[in-house]
This record gives sequence, C-alpha cells and structure tokens, in this order.
Amino acid sequence: MRINFKIKNELKNSLIDKIQKEKELVTVLSADFLEIRQKEALQKKFPDFNWKEVVYEIDKSVIAGVIIKVGSRTIDLSLSGTLSKLSNTLYEID
Amino acid sequence: MENLGIDGKLLLAQMINFVLFFFLVKQFIVKPFTTFLNQERKNEEEKDRFLEKLRKNEEVAVQMEAKMKAKMKKDFDALIIQAKKEAQDLKADLVKQAEEDAEEIKNKTRKLLEEEKKALYREVKDQIVKTSLIIVESALKESLDEPSRKQVTDFIIKNYEGKLKVYEN
Repeated sequence: MRINFKIKNELKNSLIDKIQKEKELVTVLSADFLEIRQKEALQKKFPDFNWKEVVYEIDKSVIAGVIIKVGSRTIDLSLSGTLSKLSNTLYEID
Repeated sequence: MENLGIDGKLLLAQMINFVLFFFLVKQFIVKPFTTFLNQERKNEEEKDRFLEKLRKNEEVAVQMEAKMKAKMKKDFDALIIQAKKEAQDLKADLVKQAEEDAEEIKNKTRKLLEEEKKALYREVKDQIVKTSLIIVESALKESLDEPSRKQVTDFIIKNYEGKLKVYEN
C-alpha cells in the first residue's frame, strides 16, 4: 500500500515536533507544591532548560527536595535520591 | 711188590681211577664252583663300587641341595629386602599424596569458609543498610512536616552548585 508523500511528510514532521517537545519538556517532581520563589530559584539554577513548558508533579516518595526530568536526563535533588546514593556508597564499602 | 701185598694192576687201576676222578672233579665241580665264586666276588665288588658311587652322588646331591637352599635363602632375603623397600617407598608416596590431598581439601574448605563468611558479611551488611535506610526514610517521612520539607527543598536548591550527577535514561 502506497502512502501519500504529503501525508507521510506531515506525519514525520509532526512526530519530530512531538519528540522535540518531549525532549525539551521539563518535569519537576516534589513532595509538596512548589512555591513561586522556589520555581524561580530553580529557573535561575538551570537557565538552559525550557521553563516555558514545565510540568510540576507531586510525588511523596521524594520526601523533600526535587527531581527534574528533561527528556532522557534526570537531575536528582531529592532526599530520597541522597539516601539512595548513601545506600549505594554503603554497599560499595567492604 | 706182590710180597708186600700190593697188587700192581690194582694200584695202576686205582691210580688211573684217582687221576680220572681228579680230572672229573676238577673239570666239572671245582672249575664251575671257582668260576661261580669269582663271579660272585666280581658282583660283590661291582655292588660295592655302585654303592660307593651312589654314596658320592648322594653327597654331591646333599651339597647341591645345601647350595641351592643357601642361594634360595639369599634370593629370598634379597626379594624381601626389595619388597620392604618398595613397600616403604609406596607407603611414603601414599602418605605424601594423602598429605597433599588433605592440604588441598583444607585449603578448599578454608577458601569456601572464607567465601561464605564474606557472603554472609555482605548479606548482613546489605540487610543492615536496607533496614537502616527504611528506618531513616520512615523517620524522615514521619518527622518532616510540610514547612520542614519546604525548608529542606529551599536548602537543597540554594546549595546546588551543579555537582550532582545527571542521569541519562
């Protein structure tokens, strides 16, 4: 079955746009709703991220702090992450 | 002669008779008897010689037997000594082999024990770490109220200097 070249291109461009948006989409996970000053502080700390498209989510497992996800990258600034790193360090010690 | 009462004819006849008798006795009695006696003596001598020869042969046989016994005893003693030596060598080899095997088993067991000890230590450590983390996490979750959590979040954001690891999925 032949696909119309125009439709094919539109579909391709749409998918590329979607992927690009997903790549640039910033997701911030925190235990509580972040206050505006905290959001601004984050934007100042990470000026390279596209803060126009950002999703804030509540996740109680974070305990405190935030986890920032941008595309395939994750920046863990949470207490749970610190505990996880601490446990890894303890596991590595003989 | 007649006056003496000797009859010449009778005397001649008696003399002839005596000669004839002598001849006959000599020819048919004495000679075979002598031959028989000689033969018997010869047989006796032959028997003695044979007996002597047998005795000598017996002596030689006894000597040979003694020599053979001595040689056999010597060979037997040599064999016994050789066998004892071989048995001792074999025993030494077996003891050495057994010692080596025992040492190997000991080493293997020690290694195994060491590994098990390490594994146990690791498991206990992991359990302690896991339990400690669960306790700490529970304690943090229970003890931190919203303002405290916000304070901690502020502190983390404020002190972040871009040194944390960034995970690539």
